[in-house]
Formats: sequence, C-alpha cells, structure tokens
Amino acid sequence: MPVHPKGEAVAPAAASQTRTSAPKAKRKLRASALVAATAAAVLALTACGGGGGSEAKSADGKVELRFAWWGGDKRAQVTQAAIAAFEAENPNIKIKPEYGDWSGYWDKLATQVAANDAPDIIQMDEKYITEYSTRGALLDLSKYDIDTSKLDAAALDAGKGEKGLTGIAAGINAATILANPAVFQAAGVAIPDDKTWTWEDFERVAAEVTAKSPKGTYGAAAYGTDEASLGVWLRQNGKSLYTSDGKLGFEPSDIAEWWAFLKQLSEKKAVPSASEVVEAEAAPLDQSGLATGKNGLAFWWSNQLPALEKAAGGELQILRFPSKTGKADDAKLWYKASQFWSASSRTKHPEETAKFINFLTNNVKAGEALLADRGVYPNSEVRDAIAPKLAKADVKVVDFIAGIKEELGDAPAAPPKGAGAIQEIVKRYTSEVLFDRLSTEEAGKKAVDEMKSAIS
Amino acid sequence: MSAIGELSTMTRRKGPMTKEEKKANGRDNKAAYIFLLPWLIGLVAITVGPMLMSLYLSFTDYNLLQPPEWVGLDNFIRMFGDARLHNSLRVTFTYVLVGVPLQLGVALLIALVLDKGLRGLPFYRSIFYLPSLLGGSVAVAILWKQIFGTTGLVNQVLAMVGIEGPGWISDPNTALGSIILLHVWTFGSPMIIFLAGLRQIPVMYYEAAKVDGATTLQQFWRITLPMLSPIIFFNLVLQIIGSFQSFTQAFIVSGGNGGPSDSTMFFTLYLYQKGFGQFDMGYASAMAWFLLVIIGAFTAINFIASKYWVFYDD
Repeated sequence: MPVHPKGEAVAPAAASQTRTSAPKAKRKLRASALVAATAAAVLALTACGGGGGSEAKSADGKVELRFAWWGGDKRAQVTQAAIAAFEAENPNIKIKPEYGDWSGYWDKLATQVAANDAPDIIQMDEKYITEYSTRGALLDLSKYDIDTSKLDAAALDAGKGEKGLTGIAAGINAATILANPAVFQAAGVAIPDDKTWTWEDFERVAAEVTAKSPKGTYGAAAYGTDEASLGVWLRQNGKSLYTSDGKLGFEPSDIAEWWAFLKQLSEKKAVPSASEVVEAEAAPLDQSGLATGKNGLAFWWSNQLPALEKAAGGELQILRFPSKTGKADDAKLWYKASQFWSASSRTKHPEETAKFINFLTNNVKAGEALLADRGVYPNSEVRDAIAPKLAKADVKVVDFIAGIKEELGDAPAAPPKGAGAIQEIVKRYTSEVLFDRLSTEEAGKKAVDEMKSAIS
Repeated sequence: MSAIGELSTMTRRKGPMTKEEKKANGRDNKAAYIFLLPWLIGLVAITVGPMLMSLYLSFTDYNLLQPPEWVGLDNFIRMFGDARLHNSLRVTFTYVLVGVPLQLGVALLIALVLDKGLRGLPFYRSIFYLPSLLGGSVAVAILWKQIFGTTGLVNQVLAMVGIEGPGWISDPNTALGSIILLHVWTFGSPMIIFLAGLRQIPVMYYEAAKVDGATTLQQFWRITLPMLSPIIFFNLVLQIIGSFQSFTQAFIVSGGNGGPSDSTMFFTLYLYQKGFGQFDMGYASAMAWFLLVIIGAFTAINFIASKYWVFYDD
C-alpha cells in the first residue's frame, strides 16, 4: 500500500470516482459548517452549568456538614486536625472539608450560593461579609448556642452587621512588613529598627539591599497588589479606605501620592521591575519573593508568618509599617479579624453547624490544633491555654500582636458591600502606573471612579 | 455523514403516501424519537434551558444571592458606557483577527509540507496534532506562563545571545501576543482537516497543469487554493467562533484577572469576572447574548462572503 493515495489516483477510473464524489462531500461540508457554527455558538451561552444539591444526611443517620476555607497546605493540615478533634467528641456529625486558593474560593462560593448549594460552614473575609450578609446568605449566629463571652470585644464587633452576628472572628491579625534576614545578611545591610523607621528609611534600606545583592534580588516587594497597604498609608495621612457610612474615605490625589511613592521606589530599584511585580502577584505564598529569598522585605498579614517561614526554610522577622514621623505610634496599625466563621443561611442543620463553630471558637482542643494559623486566637482563655504549645513562629506572631496593642489607631470602618472588587481595581491600576501607561493622577482619578461605582 | 445522505434521499421521494406507508412512517418516527430521547433530554436540560434562563437573566439585575429583578434593557444600555467592556472587545477582536489567519496559515503550510508524501507521515501528523490536544488545557497554559516568564526559557535563550527579553506575559505590550502565539501553536486540528482536503483534490489537475508548464506556485494558486476553499471556509468559521469564546488560556496565563492592565482581558474573561467576581450575573448574561450576536454576525458575514471566494465544483 502506498502511503499516499494520490499515487493510486493516477488510474483514470479512480480519478473519476474521486471527482463524482467530491461535490457531494463538499456540499455536506458546507452544511456541517453551518451546524457546527450553530452548535459552537450555543455553547457560548451555556458554558456555565449549574450544580446539584447534595444530600446532607448520610445513610447511617450521621449529619454531614460541609466546611469551606481558603488557604495553603499548612492550614489544611491544622484544620483537618481540628475537624478530627470535633468528630471524636461528636461521633454523629461528620465534617467534609472543601478548601482551595483564595482566588478560586470566591468564584466557587458565589456559584454555590447561587445554586443553593452553599457549604454549611464558610470561612469568610471582611471584604465579602457585608456582601453576603446583607443579601441574606449568612446565618445570624447570635440566635444559636455559641458562647461569645470570652471573645475580645473588637473581634466580636467586626462580625456584627445589620443582619445580626453573621461571622465570628477566627483570629486577630495585623498588617505587617516581614523581613528575610538571610537576604539582608547576604547584602551586608542591617535590618532597620521598626519602631523608628520612616518611609524614607524604607526606600533607602531597600535600595541599598538591591544594590548589594545579586541580580534579580530586591530590597523589598512592591506594594499595590492589595488594598491593605493602601489602608495603612491612608490612615497615616488622616484618611481611610472606607467611611463608616460605606463610602470611600479618600480622594484621587491620596491614592496618586501612594502610587507616586511606589514609582519612586521602582525607579530607585528598591522594588522589582513592573513585569516582575505582575508575575509575583500570581505566585502562591510558598513561591513568593520573600519565601524564595528574592525580596528582603514584603507586605504580609501577621498570621502568614509561620507558613512563610516554613516555605522559606528559615526565620523571618516581623516589622511594623514605617511611619511618616518615625514614631511607632504613628504607624496607625489596627487589629483585623483575619477571617470569620460564618454559616450558610440555608443550612439544613443550623444547630450542628453552630456546634462546630462554637467548638472552633471556644474549645481548647480546636485551639491546640489550629494554633496561630488563622491569627491570634480571639478567645482569651483558649489563647492562654494554648500558649505553651505554640511553635516558635507562632509565638513571634502572638508577641507582635500583643506588642503593638498600645500603638494601634482607631478601628477602621467595615468594608461596604462591593468591597470585594477593590483589590482587583488597586492591582490593575498599580500595573498601569508601573508600566507608565497612566500617570499617577490619571490612575488615581480612574481608580476612584471605578471604586465608587463598585461599592455604590 | 452517510446516514445524512440516506435521509436526504428518503425525504426527496415525491408523490402522496399510502395509508400503510403513513402508518409505518409514524411507527418509525416514534422509534426515532425514543432513540433520540437521551440526546433530547440533554439538549433541553443542559443547553436550551440554561440558554432561556440566561436570556431572561440578561433583562434582570441578578446578584446570585437574591432573586433576580427585572430591569428591562438596562444591562444592554450599560454596555455602551462600560470602558472595560470596550477594551475587552478590542482585545478579543485583536485575538481573533490576528490569531485565526495566522493559525490557519501555519496549519495550511504544514499540511502542504506533510502532503508531499513524507515517509512516516502518521508520526509527523500525530506530532503536529499534539499541541491541539494540549493547547486548550490548563497544564499547557501554566507551562506557557513559565516559558514566557521574565526568567523563563525564552529569555534564557535570548540572554545567551545578549538580548534582555521583556516579561512576555507580564508586560502589557507583549502579553496578548504571547497568548496569540499559544493559539497559533495549536494548529493541529485545522491542519488535519486541510490534509484531508488536500487528498480530495484529483491529481489529474496537477498533471494537466504540469503538462502545460505551470510552476509549483501557479499550481498552488490556481488549483490547490480554489479546490481547498470550502475546507478553508469550514476551518475559518469554526476557528473564528472558537476564538471568540476562548477563555482558558487567558484565564490561566493572567491568573484570572486579564492582566497586566487588562491587556489580556478577553470578552469571556470579563463576562466571568462580572458574573462571578462582582456578583453582576444579569449583566454577564446580557454580555453572553451580545457575544452570541457578534459571533452570529461574523458567521453570517462569513457565509455571505463565501459566495465570492469559496469554490464548490458542483
């Protein structure tokens, strides 16, 4: 057999056969192009199918609850341990974990809620809690048997809204700058004193580290990939991200100034190039610049230190944010509820769900499993009980949180409905600025316009 | 295809049916519908149902968490003033209008080379087809991200010859180009169709042309291209529709946000963000229908224009 059929077609009979069948084949082809076109276009509309509801009660009479959280491997391990402790005490309740990355988490949750298939226990963030609670997706936990008497008042208030207590703080956090001493040592630069440093010091030190480090290593990671560092900056300038009546608490010129300083950092090579900043945004925690030793300083929440230390394979140091004045009292940090335990308003088993949340909040066994992964325990009794069990990294976090207590600024206003969109806007305009596609003023104006319409 | 052919000869029969024939026909129809049932249920439940739902939602304000509220044409009117939507259209059109011709060109070129009776053709065919199977996948998009990163393979090779490459996928000026390249790389499926089409061209035309002294280039322009035009048309229609809907590559390469600076914010990606990120499912549904209209218009134009350049020798 020849590989190529054309060789055969040389015979006249075969050639004429090809010719007679060709037109019909082509007509069919035209018809099938039309069919395929319709089918493909129709698929565009239905690409997102719905999900089915799940049966909550399993055959042996056990109640099964679904528990969703975002986070990395370490969090998965400690949370599984807490679940195991709860199941040992409550043999009739089975907790089914569902966890994943931050970004996919919210898409999935929104879809699940829309499909009436929300997990029973939901790890919630302050950016979204108003969105979900005002729209009736979360259970008012105050109506169930959950003991909140041992919680720090500030942490408890953070979960209260117009629809009642829809979230119970899982931990206390603060915005921090983490330093990788290995990077500083290699560059021969001393880690600055965080009680006296200013933003100018930050710039000088970071630029010095970059200059004395091998190519590709920078003194600091860029800020501007979320709104937390913007929040600190605004507070230090007498403004805030949001006002208590749910509006933006700053002007275009305020955010423009913030970007102008970032540009200055970028020009002095204190922070990575624009492209590297964009790439770093997508990297998960354990591949971040700080963990891989490519950044000397980086912006993180305090509770992320243990996981970052694990990824970096060495010790990290927690620093306060720099201030304008060089006084720690002017750093204007605040205690944030790192995340909340919330429950779906449509759970079929509100009692059991509340029981589990109560366990996570008040039971020492839960505390011994979770330790400080979700921040410092807001329950003072559990916090004290687990203190001896804390690993070195956890102790660092707890000490830092305790250490800044007297320096804190006022508690910031809760993020309003629609605040979940702010991070994406900040991030997008940060790259517009870093790539010189927009001036800081233009970016400020456009970003504020978009933010206003997002939270209106 | 042969089944369709038989059906068409069946229906082509003229003259009134006898009673027995009608009865038999009815029985046949019933049997046919029963066999069609599984597919029909699927069509209604998975395609038509959600489509109608999304048509309804496109006229509502629907935040996923609360029941939809009727707002009439509001969503469609909002699209006029949405600068990010306009940008996403620009990105998508660039992707389609640059990516599709490039991809088809490469597919045709490789098909022509493979058609020259290469030894071990099935092997090469499989090799070239492979990217088509992989290109739409998440794994390859992640790989692409690594290869085109600031310290990725491409820049390492460039560094050897002393060129400092940009961060291909993290620089707004080159990010879309990198994704188009990924699309072009998946030329396998149109290539296979081209190859099949090339086999359909009777060899005698070439022989006659050769006898008359036509050059290879003349043969290509005067025989191959016209004879292949229905296949080119078929590929063009499919690829344009597919490209308008492309989502995965941009989603993975940009980490889901269409960045940097919205330079890879495809229409579908923006739709997704609106629907699932910003709880604006009514608007997202309206966008989906708008995309359907765009695709429909493009396909109609394609079919109308095909009269002038597609050659059916019937």
